[in-house]
Amino acid sequence: MGTELGKYKLCVSARSTDKDILKKAQDGGIVTQLFKFALEEGIIDGAIVAGQGDEPWRPRPFIATTVEELMTTPGTRYNISPQVSWIKEATRSYGLDKVGIVGTPCQMQAVRKGQLYPVGLRDVDDKIALAIGIFCMENFPYQSIKQLVEDHAGMKLESVKKMDIGKGKFWVYGARGQVVQLPLKVTHKYEQPGCHVCLDYVSNLADVSTGSVGSPDGWSTVFVRTRKGDDIWSKAIGAGCFETKPIEQVKPGLEMVSKLANEKITKNQKTVEERAKFGVNKALRNPYIKP
Amino acid sequence: MAEKITVGHVHMSGCTGCLVSLADNAEGLLTILDKYADLVYGLTLADVRHIPKMDVALVEGSVCIQDKISVQEIKETREKAAVVVAVGGCACYGNITRFGRGGQPNQPQHESYLPVGDLIKVDVYIPGCAPCPQLIRNVCVMAYLLLKGTKDQQELAKKYLAPLMQLAERGTEACGCDLMYDVVNQGLCIGCGSCAAACPVRAITHEYGKPNVNREMCIKCGACYAQCPRSFFNFDVVTEFEAISDLIAGALK
Amino acid sequence: MSKVVEISPTTRHEGHSKLVLKVDDAGIIERGDWLSITPVRGVEKLAINKTMDQVPKIASRVCGICPIAHTLAGIESMEGSIRCEIPRDAKLLRIVLQCANKLHSHALHNILTLPDMYIPGTDKKINPFSAEEPVRSHAKRIVRLREIGQTIGEIAGGEAIHPSNPRVGGLYKACTPRAVQKMYDLAKEGLPLAIEQMEFMIAVLRNFQRRDWADVGGKQIPIPKDLGYHNQGYMAAHPMYGSSNLDENPGWNPERWTDVRPWDWYMGEVEVSLADPSYPIGGTSPVGTKANPQMEACTGVPLYDGSPVEVGPRARMVQFKNYDEKGTIGQQIARAMELPDCLYTIINALDEYNPSGKVLADYIPQGDGSLGWAANEAPRGCDVHLAKVKDGRVLWYNMLVPTTWNFPTCSRALTGAPWQLAEVIVRGYDPCVSCATHMIVVDDDKKIVAQKLIR
Ligand SMILES: Cc1cc2nc3c(=O)[nH]c(=O)nc-3n(C[C@H](O)[C@H](O)[C@H](O)COP(=O)(O)OP(=O)(O)OC[C@H]3O[C@@H](n4cnc5c(N)ncnc54)[C@H](O)[C@@H]3O)c2cc1C
Ligand code: SF4
Ligand code: SF4
Ligand code: SF4
Ligand code: SF4
Repeated sequence: MGTELGKYKLCVSARSTDKDILKKAQDGGIVTQLFKFALEEGIIDGAIVAGQGDEPWRPRPFIATTVEELMTTPGTRYNISPQVSWIKEATRSYGLDKVGIVGTPCQMQAVRKGQLYPVGLRDVDDKIALAIGIFCMENFPYQSIKQLVEDHAGMKLESVKKMDIGKGKFWVYGARGQVVQLPLKVTHKYEQPGCHVCLDYVSNLADVSTGSVGSPDGWSTVFVRTRKGDDIWSKAIGAGCFETKPIEQVKPGLEMVSKLANEKITKNQKTVEERAKFGVNKALRNPYIKP
Repeated sequence: MAEKITVGHVHMSGCTGCLVSLADNAEGLLTILDKYADLVYGLTLADVRHIPKMDVALVEGSVCIQDKISVQEIKETREKAAVVVAVGGCACYGNITRFGRGGQPNQPQHESYLPVGDLIKVDVYIPGCAPCPQLIRNVCVMAYLLLKGTKDQQELAKKYLAPLMQLAERGTEACGCDLMYDVVNQGLCIGCGSCAAACPVRAITHEYGKPNVNREMCIKCGACYAQCPRSFFNFDVVTEFEAISDLIAGALK
Repeated sequence: MSKVVEISPTTRHEGHSKLVLKVDDAGIIERGDWLSITPVRGVEKLAINKTMDQVPKIASRVCGICPIAHTLAGIESMEGSIRCEIPRDAKLLRIVLQCANKLHSHALHNILTLPDMYIPGTDKKINPFSAEEPVRSHAKRIVRLREIGQTIGEIAGGEAIHPSNPRVGGLYKACTPRAVQKMYDLAKEGLPLAIEQMEFMIAVLRNFQRRDWADVGGKQIPIPKDLGYHNQGYMAAHPMYGSSNLDENPGWNPERWTDVRPWDWYMGEVEVSLADPSYPIGGTSPVGTKANPQMEACTGVPLYDGSPVEVGPRARMVQFKNYDEKGTIGQQIARAMELPDCLYTIINALDEYNPSGKVLADYIPQGDGSLGWAANEAPRGCDVHLAKVKDGRVLWYNMLVPTTWNFPTCSRALTGAPWQLAEVIVRGYDPCVSCATHMIVVDDDKKIVAQKLIR
């Protein structure tokens, strides 16, 4: 295994011990459970999560400062929620000193860049108390999700209960029990273009990162990466927040995570290279080289 | 402890907000002055009237080319300073002085304001209006390591400063439109929201995940683009965020 | 025969300015001109035809030390023009923001003037950056006070420098109870520090006043008892916050304001005939240097009731609190006395503030071109912005900023002092020169101003 999984101190398969969270969560309820614990313990005084936006399945960044507010937000919305846009306001009119934030790998990159190069993020760098990253193969514009659900899956967005990407398929679960699966080759054209140069699958820069891949249904794979993450994770374990299994003992296990991570990175690395000769002696910009 | 570096603050046509921002490092500023840098020039803070030789010049404000003293001082700054840092939107990109068009008493001829980089070579950019105290601090610490640190520290400082040097090479124009030109139009935007968070005049909203810039609010400070993870993202540095944050925090102890 | 000395640039204040001084044989100033030589960025003119929302954001950027004053005066002049009343809770947060800024600004000013002063009981001047005690402890207190001011400002205003939260019609965001609590705690922490700082400053200033001489460049310069005295009037719109044309009893009156150009007020061309290379640091301008204040001055000369007036902490205290101590020391003591008041006002405003109240007016008119003005009591004094807005765009904009009022008054206050202490007098005004790069014109606009207000 190479660098595709980033640095981590610990990797386990886990799920929340809270039935209510498990019922609402996308996978093992890691994100919601960990934020809940951190809120209750005063480790964070608010978390930037993806709340319900103006249209069905459209997320918007939302600052939860109570467990009650937090409990309205579990579950994955497969379209863009500009999580980082609230990172400064959270420390201003919300008065937070210890901010939690959940986001995709690229959003974790944005957070860390913002801490090291705070161009317009005054007094934010030392207030990021818990950054939870989720795994991410790609994201979608809202219109893409609408078309995938309404055209391809033949369901109204309003009547969808859950969406999921797993086992090579895009799954749409209806409120009345219908299940539609779409092959991923259908979804590719709908992806957010910026994702095609993304070189991180498992939120390498988060304090704790998590996703479903690698673990059985209803469980999540968890990487504990930083000192902060380690500290909070071990406290949460101590408090009985999670049931865990060694990652080596679950199927399909870490190998699957590595495989997908490598696939994503290899594919997108190729895109980055192709961009260098996209036009006729004209390159598209490469953010990894210079601004 | 190695000897200190010498730093000066050169005030061109700026509002002193950049300097206030430096001062807003609070006790961190005292530590910097105790351990790493001697402030050898800065009309607001020190009594020195004429620009001396120095290691690092922090230049605030743009240059009024109809004002002889300003033009002379910026050239002198280049001659006297080993490293010139443009601090803040005005020095980097012109910021609000880009809107200046003269005609105001008592000097109606003061019409043209240029970012520092249009008159001299600038080494490092710190965009933003006001620029963040923490970024100014980080650059000061890295400049110290670059000039006085061990080999490893010099390497790190070089890597850290590289994108800020590349921003200086990139040019002297900035505006919210850069998010469109150089991110969205380039197929790079990921809808993270950093640009909106960075904007000091709340000119940016996200519409279905992508930035919309209210161009009649934008003041051309350049913060949004520089903050965007898709303007620059240097893996070798940002991946080490924990160690580098520790290093900087340790330096300020 | 009088001689001419020029100190250029002056130091330890914001922006670029210089002093041109005619002195007698004993080196006593007969006439002094203190003038801004900061290039004129022309905000009043670039504002024309921009939106009423953007102009205050640009105006904020004339000064990074008191940006809040310019933001609020700018916004409230727009609101004055379009006749927009803002919700009470928005006003309360603006008051918090205002006082937070004043706290930081006064504390910063203390750092800038302390090097002229002595550690009481010694002949040692104060270097606020020195790591030695007792100075370091005082410096840390000042630093913490500034930090408290900037942090409260950041919470209420979105940013500590150039606040982003205020907007025409109120504010973008209300503060949550948690944010209010945080500001409250900070203010409570700051209060004893502010009182201590006030007492420290007063002790240091009184000590200076009792001294016979001050060291300037190795020479002992006698300190006159009337250092910085002047016979001009005072002007203040409000004890702490400000006033606008929407107030029932406005604290400022545009009819009493007139304006003179530097051409009619400052000296014409003179040649430097006295130079002192030992003047710290870098010496005065060499003999033979030509100076021409009436041509070089970047600001105009606003008059209130026909003469220059002083604005600032002392003006506020003279106007509203029967304060009467004259001179540079009296002025600085007034400033020190405002420190605790900033925090009391914050605490009171937060007590009244309701986090679930609204902070944005339901309806924001777009304006019919009427005149509006707002006189904000900035740290350095009354900051008057005047605007005419039509269809959401700025037709006309003027800024009568504190230091512009103070330039001519301070110039008068130089008379009678040894020239070597001229900068000490200037610094007493807490000059913020780059904001003063604006000037008002005596023209027809003035008449329109008067007519509108009578109506
Ligand atoms: C666009 C996207 C692509 C993903 N791709 C993969 C993948 O390829 N492989 C994989 O294993 N996992 C992927 N995930 C992660 C997975 O779907 C779950 O979000 C993750 O396992 C957390 O589940 P949980 O039960 O621990 O969290 P929960 O307790 O259910 O909480 C989920 C959290 O995610 C937040 N959230 C929801 N939507 C978004 C969004 N659009 N942007 C940011 N935050 C959001 C919510 O606010 C909530 O806090 C993806 C997630 C997203 C948003
Ligand atoms: S694929 Fe990468 S760029 Fe796209 S949303 Fe996921 S983490 Fe962000
Ligand atoms: S960048 Fe902003 S803070 Fe700095 S001088 Fe310009 S206006 Fe002032
Ligand atoms: S900061 Fe994020 S949302 Fe804004 S342009 Fe860059 S990638 Fe897009
Ligand atoms: S949009 Fe905002 S951050 Fe970007 S350049 Fe304009 S003012 Fe600056």
